[in-house]
Amino acid sequence: MEQKKNNQVTKSLLWLLLLIIAVIIPWILGSNQYSVLLVTTVLLYGVMATLWNIIGGLAGQLDLGSFAYLGLGAFTSGTLLIRYNFTPWMGMILGGLVAAGFALLIGIPLFRFRIREVWYALTTCALVEILKVVFTMWEKVGGPVERYLPHYGSLYHMRFSSYIPYYYLMLGLLLIALGVNYRINKTRLGYYLKALGEDEIAAEVLGIDTRSCKLKALVCYSFLIGVTGGIYANMYGYIHPSFFDGQESIKVAILGIVGGRGITYGPLLAALLLVGIQEFLRASIGGDVSGLYLVIYSVILIVVVLFRPKGIATIFQDVYQRVFSRRGVEKKNVQ
Amino acid sequence: MVKQVLQIKDLSSGYGKVTVLRDINFQIVENEVVAVLGSNGAGKTTLLKTISKLISPFTGEIIFEGQNIASYPPYLVAQAGIAHVPEGGKLFVNMTVYENLLMGIYRNRKKVKEDILEEIYEIFPILRERKNQLARTLSGGEKQMLSIGRGLASQPKFIMLDEPSQGLAPKLVDEIYQKLSILKKRGITILLIEQNINYALQFAERGYVLENGRIVMEGESKELLNSEHIKKHYLGI
Repeated sequence: MEQKKNNQVTKSLLWLLLLIIAVIIPWILGSNQYSVLLVTTVLLYGVMATLWNIIGGLAGQLDLGSFAYLGLGAFTSGTLLIRYNFTPWMGMILGGLVAAGFALLIGIPLFRFRIREVWYALTTCALVEILKVVFTMWEKVGGPVERYLPHYGSLYHMRFSSYIPYYYLMLGLLLIALGVNYRINKTRLGYYLKALGEDEIAAEVLGIDTRSCKLKALVCYSFLIGVTGGIYANMYGYIHPSFFDGQESIKVAILGIVGGRGITYGPLLAALLLVGIQEFLRASIGGDVSGLYLVIYSVILIVVVLFRPKGIATIFQDVYQRVFSRRGVEKKNVQ
Repeated sequence: MVKQVLQIKDLSSGYGKVTVLRDINFQIVENEVVAVLGSNGAGKTTLLKTISKLISPFTGEIIFEGQNIASYPPYLVAQAGIAHVPEGGKLFVNMTVYENLLMGIYRNRKKVKEDILEEIYEIFPILRERKNQLARTLSGGEKQMLSIGRGLASQPKFIMLDEPSQGLAPKLVDEIYQKLSILKKRGITILLIEQNINYALQFAERGYVLENGRIVMEGESKELLNSEHIKKHYLGI
């Protein structure tokens, strides 16, 4: 009991330390806007992968459509700002709602007709590409030309002249994403999602309403991604159909899988490590040997999949268990 | 008067356009143990899947305790009090034994979880020992017991078992049937699917024989065991 309490304290301290580091990073990088943008990008992927964990990790649905919801959020918030001078602080919430509503529209028939596994993956993958075409053709909102967001340097319009505020916004979102993950993990819904992620038929015969559980997970995920999209648009200062990026959506899923499906901090870890390395390599050697960073990135990916198929997070779990449990492996007691 | 638990009327069912079951009629009364027998491909599993609504029937009625559940989704069937122990167990292999049982209990919000768990552990003491192990690390017999235990966790009035002896050594089959007789004593209505005719008919009170999707015989277990048809086709004597 005593030891368990100690573990809790160490764990909280560890998180606090990480949070402090995360808070002071932009102060260190402050003079270099490009570096701040890079770490914000890393955080963005951390947020997306952590949210992906709800649908992809816990519920086991291989969702490859994260940027569809990000794009919808960005376009909603961005268009409201351009057309109606509507503050993105509210716009991003509306963006989340639009993304969640769209997810419902897609999710209800998908789950109704029991589309799962690779077919679900393909459908969500197609979703991103379809939206990209739709928004390229839809000249009133999108169109092939970038639409720049006005009011540069205004707090009310969330258009900061530095990347640092965006960094903190992203950090806040990350904390929310982690919190939501943690909460869902602890609730009945989390267990249901884990169960249906493992075996949907078994979950159904046990009396779990798998369809509504999956919908809840999908709505939760798409709403928060949509909100992220609002900030994303403001950070880059424009909206463009290329936001619906299929390749990046797959990358988010890869981060979720490599980090450790169903482990709250796993996808974040993968994002920090992989996107961090990728952006660092791109920034440092990208100019000299173009494409080399992709090779290194892929090699790391292969190594992880070969030696840690359950995710990078399991390394930390093993170390943690070795350090903190004296007598062998003490399995955590549920509840 | 005996209370009818499950009544099936003119049921036909199958996958896509393929009809597997035709004109199935049968009923089970309270506290009864009924076996459905048949060779591979006779439609036994399809029957159970249809009752638990994993597949939808083409026509016919499934009446459980007075209500027609033929249009229910699977989770409502389970919540009405039908437990289905699927073929091969279908455990959540990456969860612990305890968590697996918990998944069965979860929707009984008001019931005290510990009491139900205690009850299951009493029937299957091995599950208490293996409580914190991952389900994937269990042996075949233990997996089957966990699967039955998980079915019991929802405190069903009626439990359907899909080949509980499948893939187990004869000694383990004996053990499983011993456990099942505990359930029988507790008055749970059981529908059993089995290829092992000897075991099934010794355990059950009545039986139905399914061939090519139709019920070709029905009767008391003893009658069935002595019938020429069964002897010739299933027991090989």
